[in-house]
Amino acid sequence: MIPVRCISCGKVVSAYFDEYQNRTAEGEDPKVVLNDLGVNRYCCRRMLISHVETW
Amino acid sequence: MEIDVKKKQENELVFIIRDSDLSFANAIRRICMMEVPKIAIEDVHMIKNESAMFDEVLAHRLGLVPLFSDSESAEALLIPSECDCEDQCPKCSVSLVLRKKGPGVVYTKDLSSEDSKIKPVYDTIPLLKLMEDQEVELEATARLGIGMDHAKWEPTTACAYKYYPHITIDEKCDQCQKCADACPRSVLEFDEKNNQIKVVDLENCSMCKSCVRVCDHKYITIGHKDGDFIFTIETDGSIPPEEVLIKACDVLSNKADKIITFCEGGN
Repeated sequence: MIPVRCISCGKVVSAYFDEYQNRTAEGEDPKVVLNDLGVNRYCCRRMLISHVETW
Repeated sequence: MEIDVKKKQENELVFIIRDSDLSFANAIRRICMMEVPKIAIEDVHMIKNESAMFDEVLAHRLGLVPLFSDSESAEALLIPSECDCEDQCPKCSVSLVLRKKGPGVVYTKDLSSEDSKIKPVYDTIPLLKLMEDQEVELEATARLGIGMDHAKWEPTTACAYKYYPHITIDEKCDQCQKCADACPRSVLEFDEKNNQIKVVDLENCSMCKSCVRVCDHKYITIGHKDGDFIFTIETDGSIPPEEVLIKACDVLSNKADKIITFCEGGN
């Protein structure tokens, strides 16, 4: 499970998790999706980029 | 003191404070983060949890979910220490119920609140996963609190200020354009018409001094304007940033009032 908030700044990144996963799975560029979702700081971006959903 | 609003969005406010001072800006920043009350889940009563996730992990996740706490929604709610009840009562707490059967992901939209106004800000936060025939049932109690006690009661995410940058370029500048190329934020640009380096986006300058380092004759200097700050307040959606600022100012003036009454001989 993705952490509810960004570990560094506290932004609620998990709210965008499903949309990020669906859109990147369809082949969209993660950079474009993150910019679109308003995830601007690199602390929040790494939360979504580096997360691996295990089950 | 002057204030100019630079950017205003639902969850973000950027403004410039002029002719102020560092201690004042810092007091506002610290109070915005630590002493503005917000609602968050504090107690969780687990009735049934058959999922793979531990009770305490789930309770922690629930605590971090932002709930609407703007003055309109949280109007009737009292701060627990100011309430006359012993432990908890409807005057100082709100209860939320989560009941779900697997398989599937449980989201914050599955949380049902007894108060229609005090509910999760986002409906799409995944809380836990349930396999076939697994069930979760719990009752959570949300209360008002301040960021000083726990980060879940912090209304702001990014709350910071920076000095207002001040760039001076010497008249003797030889227009080598190295500084414009070195700037990572495209603050400087070469103006071909007038054959000089121009500052195009001053407020975006992070004062990294890449331009100063690259200039062979130290024609460019980066400094800051004393008493001018660019202030950013970003919230998690529970309280609008303007309201956070207003409440922070209230807290600060209450503190000042306390000092005044003390000095006048009161208690």
